[in-house]
Amino acid sequence: MSKPTDLVQGTLDLLILKTIALEPMHGWAIAQRIRQVSKDVLQVNQGALYPALHRLEQQGWITAEWGESENNRRAKYYSLTKSGKKYLQSEQANWERLSAAIGLVLKTA
Amino acid sequence: MRWLRSISNRLSNLFHKDTVEQETDQELRFHLEREITQRISHGMSPEEARRSALLEFGGVERFKEECREARGVNRIESLLSDLRYGLRSLRRSPGFTIVSVLTLALGIGANSAIFSMVNALLLHPYNFHNLDSLVRVWEDRGTQEGFDARFIAPADAEDLRSTNGVFEGLATYNYQSFGLGVEGDVLPILGCKVSANFFDVLAVTPAAGRLFTTAEEQPGADQVAILSYGSWQRRFGGDPHLLGKTITLNSRAYTIVGIVPKDFDYPVPVELWVPLALTPAEKADRTQLSLSALARLKTGISLSQAGAVLTTFSRRLEQEFPKTNAGRATSLLQLRKELYMFTLPLFLLLQAAAGFVLLLACANLANLVFARMIGRQREIALRAALGAGRARLGQLFLSETFLYSSAAGAVAIAVSFASVRALRTSIPTGWTKWVPGWDGIRVNGSVLAFTILAALGVGLFLGMATLLHTSRVELNKTLKETGTGTVTRTKRRVRSAVVVVQVMVALILLVCAGLTIQGFVRLANVYQGFEPASVLRIEISLPEKIYTDNLKITNFYQQVLRGTAALSGVQHASLVTNPPASNVDSDTTSFTIEGLAALKPTDLPSADLQIASPDFFGTLKIPFVTGHVFLDADNVDAPRVSVISRSMASRFWPKGDALGHRIRLGAQDSNEPWLTIVGVVGDVRQNWWNPVTRPVIYEPFAQAPQRSMTLLLRSTSNPTSYASAIRDVVRQSDPAIALRGINTLEEEIADSIAIVRIMGILMGIFGIVALSLSSLGVYGVLSESVAQRTHEIGIRLALGANPRDLMKLILGQALKLTGIGLLIAVPCAVAISRAMASLIFGVVSLDFAILGGFTVLLLLVALCAGYLPARRAIGVDPMVCLRYE
Repeated sequence: MSKPTDLVQGTLDLLILKTIALEPMHGWAIAQRIRQVSKDVLQVNQGALYPALHRLEQQGWITAEWGESENNRRAKYYSLTKSGKKYLQSEQANWERLSAAIGLVLKTA
Repeated sequence: MRWLRSISNRLSNLFHKDTVEQETDQELRFHLEREITQRISHGMSPEEARRSALLEFGGVERFKEECREARGVNRIESLLSDLRYGLRSLRRSPGFTIVSVLTLALGIGANSAIFSMVNALLLHPYNFHNLDSLVRVWEDRGTQEGFDARFIAPADAEDLRSTNGVFEGLATYNYQSFGLGVEGDVLPILGCKVSANFFDVLAVTPAAGRLFTTAEEQPGADQVAILSYGSWQRRFGGDPHLLGKTITLNSRAYTIVGIVPKDFDYPVPVELWVPLALTPAEKADRTQLSLSALARLKTGISLSQAGAVLTTFSRRLEQEFPKTNAGRATSLLQLRKELYMFTLPLFLLLQAAAGFVLLLACANLANLVFARMIGRQREIALRAALGAGRARLGQLFLSETFLYSSAAGAVAIAVSFASVRALRTSIPTGWTKWVPGWDGIRVNGSVLAFTILAALGVGLFLGMATLLHTSRVELNKTLKETGTGTVTRTKRRVRSAVVVVQVMVALILLVCAGLTIQGFVRLANVYQGFEPASVLRIEISLPEKIYTDNLKITNFYQQVLRGTAALSGVQHASLVTNPPASNVDSDTTSFTIEGLAALKPTDLPSADLQIASPDFFGTLKIPFVTGHVFLDADNVDAPRVSVISRSMASRFWPKGDALGHRIRLGAQDSNEPWLTIVGVVGDVRQNWWNPVTRPVIYEPFAQAPQRSMTLLLRSTSNPTSYASAIRDVVRQSDPAIALRGINTLEEEIADSIAIVRIMGILMGIFGIVALSLSSLGVYGVLSESVAQRTHEIGIRLALGANPRDLMKLILGQALKLTGIGLLIAVPCAVAISRAMASLIFGVVSLDFAILGGFTVLLLLVALCAGYLPARRAIGVDPMVCLRYE
């Protein structure tokens, strides 16, 4: 297995937002989900995940709530706020435009 | 709303620090547990799973710290600790704190007080709906000499109202004094006759009752009145059932139909308004400019558009009615601007002066802060060495300066409350009641906002100055130093610049203050040409319904004059239409000189017209130039005569042969009689704000009686003691007549220039504050720099330097800085004084005595400031100097 790709600065936020857009999740599940969905290509540095979550909460994109986890333990569940949803949409559009542009350059150059 | 949540998050994080910390702990622990469970389920032993999970996770404590950072707790926490530190360090040096807070509070407080005045008088003189669209409209001959009263002919106003397309409405009004009948007595009150649409144009709705109807503009139907709120409260005790009741005005019964809102006092604070009911003849009049007019511009019409329409309008009238309207132009001016024509520059000057005082206070404080910073250099270097970045240091200094500037702001608010009260009570109410907006001077929301902004601005400015001063600390050097720290060349240059600016601002401020005070003194002496001492003035106004013909008027006044002259101690008693210092211009009239008839109506000369009884010139001791003044024989049966002023005589009869010539009021073919000039008297200054000496024509009262006259008497003793005696004299002739404006002429003069006097006093205070602040500042910087050179001076002395040379060196430095400041300031002061001379009456541009005097004064201050510390430094034993560290 090749070395997992380090996440580009700022993309972690986008991944977190996208992941919890479906349903509220706790931190561990977010990391798991990102790894699964990306077929083990993207490995979230688990330590960096929490500062990112706290920052997003501070910025008001997401909110946190304590709830019961699947193994009956107390866990902090994160979900998108209204403005977080809007922010995610615009960031996702940005990302798609950027990656398409980079792909274009790589193909033609 | 996101930022709101962000802030509330931050604060709740801060206040629930422990819970939040625990939760983070719990969250991370949960994560690790899940990770371990997963690894065990993949077949690891519990020990191994725990080890590898922890390894992969990384330093837990580091991430906790990062979480804290992400939550933004740290920034607030460090700000709080900086504020606490700042508070401690200010408490450690109470002297510095008190001086800086008081200096700033004084500077900011002065600004808020003046701002509260400017805010009330200039920005909100009236609180009418859409004040900017209200204009005054008037007619004049287009050749304004000085300041003519702004009136319009009734027929012209009517035409303007019906034809123009620029005004939403045009209202006319006229003052009228009334005798209000109260229980057998008659009280004098001032009222205003207004057209029915007057209140509509101003968009005022009555507090109770109704406004006037158009039907009430008809003579006979006009016996209705609207009361002012104050009059309703004062005279009728706020009687809730007053509407519909009748009152007696000038012996006629008027029904009260309405009461205006509390703050309504246009055009001046009058007690009541009645309909302006003109007879058809009065309405058709185009010769007399007898009405005041105000109008509201239609939405979207600019002042210049309206001006253009008015020009066309006057031209049309000129063609239609050449006899009356030739050369007459219609003008307009915004209501707001009409008010402070004479005093606006003074207000602006005061605000600028207050700003300068604040600037000086800031400069002084910056100096103090710099001096403190030099003492704190080691602390700063240590902080920098321990990893404090510039932003972090900046936050520290900013929070310190914000601490005392906000303390200063709080004190300044108290100062401004006190000074606004002082300001309001220091001017006699008799005068300020005519100043619209004066009662609105108070510390309100915008003044508070202004104060707070000023305090914050000052804090920011000082913090930045401090930061600039501490940047580029040379860590190694400063930490190695054992002494009190060193001053680099750049820093010394910054402080020298502060001294230069201080000297500069001080000189400009002193010159402005000097000029204003000088202007005020000049104004106080401006009433020349007569002797105001020992003269009492009383305004008398006869009701036109009873005093219908000249004989009745003349009889009444002759009786009053005889009665007054018979009082013991009265030397002279006389009548005049417009006494000096009345703050009202005399009526102007055009006239024709016999034998110069070829003039077009537009080219007729004009002069002020005064009606006076024979002893008027003796009462005021107006010097008599040639010929003779009026005689008692110049009565209604005698040939018509006139006396003219010296400036009129010299303008129209430069050879000095005015006596015996005849003049006629109005044009050549007017119906006025020819008046023979029998005498020439000295010029009299009528009002302080009218700098032009206007020609005056005096007519004898007996030949041209008027209902409204001012009775003047000169006595050997205190003139005020005659007030009640005069009242009795008048009552004997007609008990229904009310007396108004009983005052000595001297007090009338003092009242008329009260606002200028207050301005002068304020400027004087600012000047003294400026002088002391800048002296302190210059002294502080110089003594500080000499103290820092004590070591160097010691070495020089030990090596055999001559103390006198050292003294010269230090004094030279002081003089150099002051000299540079003065060199920059002198041209500025000259320019400013020139601007002031063009804006403020009484100020003469560029007074060399003032400029030179203050320049020398500041140089002396600088010499003292340099000499005292230098003598101390030189007087010290060289050995002590060397050891001094």
